[in-house]
Amino acid sequence: MNIETAGLARRFGSTQAVAGVDLATGPGVFGLLGPNGAGKTTLLRMMATVIPPSSGSLRLLGRDPGRYGPRREIRRRLGYLPQNLGYYPSFTVAEFIEYFALLKEMPSARVPGAVAAAVEQVGLGERARTKLRTLSGGMLRRVGIAQAIVNDPELLLLDEPTAGLDPEQRVSFRAMLRDLGQRATVVVSTHLVEDVGAACTEVALMHQGKIVFRGTPAELTARGVDGGAGDAPLERGYTAVLAEARS
Amino acid sequence: MNGPGLTGDRGGLAAGGPLPPDVDLDRVWLGVATQVWRRPPGRVERLAGRLLRSPGLARALVTTPSLLLGWIIATVVMLAAGAVATRASGTPWVALAAPALAAAGIAYAYGPGMDPAWELCCSMAVSDRMVLLVRALAVFAFNALLGVAASAVSGAAAALTFGWLIPMTAMCGLALATATVTRSANAGVAAGLGGWLITVLAGKSADGQTITAITDSALVLPYLAIAACGTAIAYYVTRIPRGTA
Repeated sequence: MNIETAGLARRFGSTQAVAGVDLATGPGVFGLLGPNGAGKTTLLRMMATVIPPSSGSLRLLGRDPGRYGPRREIRRRLGYLPQNLGYYPSFTVAEFIEYFALLKEMPSARVPGAVAAAVEQVGLGERARTKLRTLSGGMLRRVGIAQAIVNDPELLLLDEPTAGLDPEQRVSFRAMLRDLGQRATVVVSTHLVEDVGAACTEVALMHQGKIVFRGTPAELTARGVDGGAGDAPLERGYTAVLAEARS
Repeated sequence: MNGPGLTGDRGGLAAGGPLPPDVDLDRVWLGVATQVWRRPPGRVERLAGRLLRSPGLARALVTTPSLLLGWIIATVVMLAAGAVATRASGTPWVALAAPALAAAGIAYAYGPGMDPAWELCCSMAVSDRMVLLVRALAVFAFNALLGVAASAVSGAAAALTFGWLIPMTAMCGLALATATVTRSANAGVAAGLGGWLITVLAGKSADGQTITAITDSALVLPYLAIAACGTAIAYYVTRIPRGTA
């Protein structure tokens, strides 16, 4: 298992952002769905070792992120795309990706090739030497994806990765996710249920810091057969589960 | 990393003419791109990489905002102006300006308040505390060297040439701690500048001399205490948070 959590919780002052999550998952694409404030981003930030849990246990790639050595090893094998990724305006696309490849402690000799591959994979080859300040929001998002995959991570955490991508890019991105999911654990937090339906092998729905549904996209779709609002079958499943959790 | 990407393949490259069937254009292109896009590290970065034994830390060091060319030029201009003013007026402007300049540089070295990709940096194998330490030391050393050079040029007495180093350490500690705790580089600058201004004015109001803040030996211990406390606070704030496993 690449991610193992038991009773994982995180509190910010009086707000309980994540309230006891039990999860175990291996390679594949895992979708995290839920309304705003459900705790998806906080859960992802804990998995990215950015913030520690308040209680519960967390193991990533078979290691304990609470200790310095294992955490460093996890971070070398981790790819993370935060929801709000800041950019250095004076960096070029290639420089930005290279900077984070080096901070991930990739062997120096491997970095230029990995950067070129990541840039190509997100379709920014023609912009590799363009300053970030001149790129559109969608392009910047692709730069963010490129830095996340540059080290060929075993654990890839993506928070709203398709925000700003056009429909064609989203279709290509889902194909890329499916490919990455063959050998790595990919966790995608998103509001877009169609992304989950198309790319994820498993899905969890969060509500008020807890996982209220876990199964395949087909199982989530099946929950919407008897009701639930939405234009697509998966959306109906999503709203039906949420309505049940709220009741 | 040869899976599907966000664009199609490079079949169009073959449009110029037929190619042997065993030529993988994607691979050829990647090889070319690797060479074209690579940014060879400069001399300073190579040296830093060897000293620090980490190419990532070396890159983080050479991208320190307060060590970029514009900042360096601004610092040199300020200290040169101070040296000229010192020679002309006799007031030790270099000694008075150096602690404030160094404090501003330290506050802008690194931190959540000034790094747009801070969240991402916090998930990196090279720890943010290590980056902060290396950058802060480099900024301090750079400002100390420039300040000593400017003091020497200004013809100040030996006591003044080196006297401001301890106050500078204190103001740097204060700026670093404030910037780290408040997560704001501007707050750090304000603390460093404000702290130094108050110290200088307090010295002047006590005995009418502007240089009391630099020459009064009774202030050495408080300066060292502020520097130590500031460093300890920054160290604590950037501690590696303990998770539970």
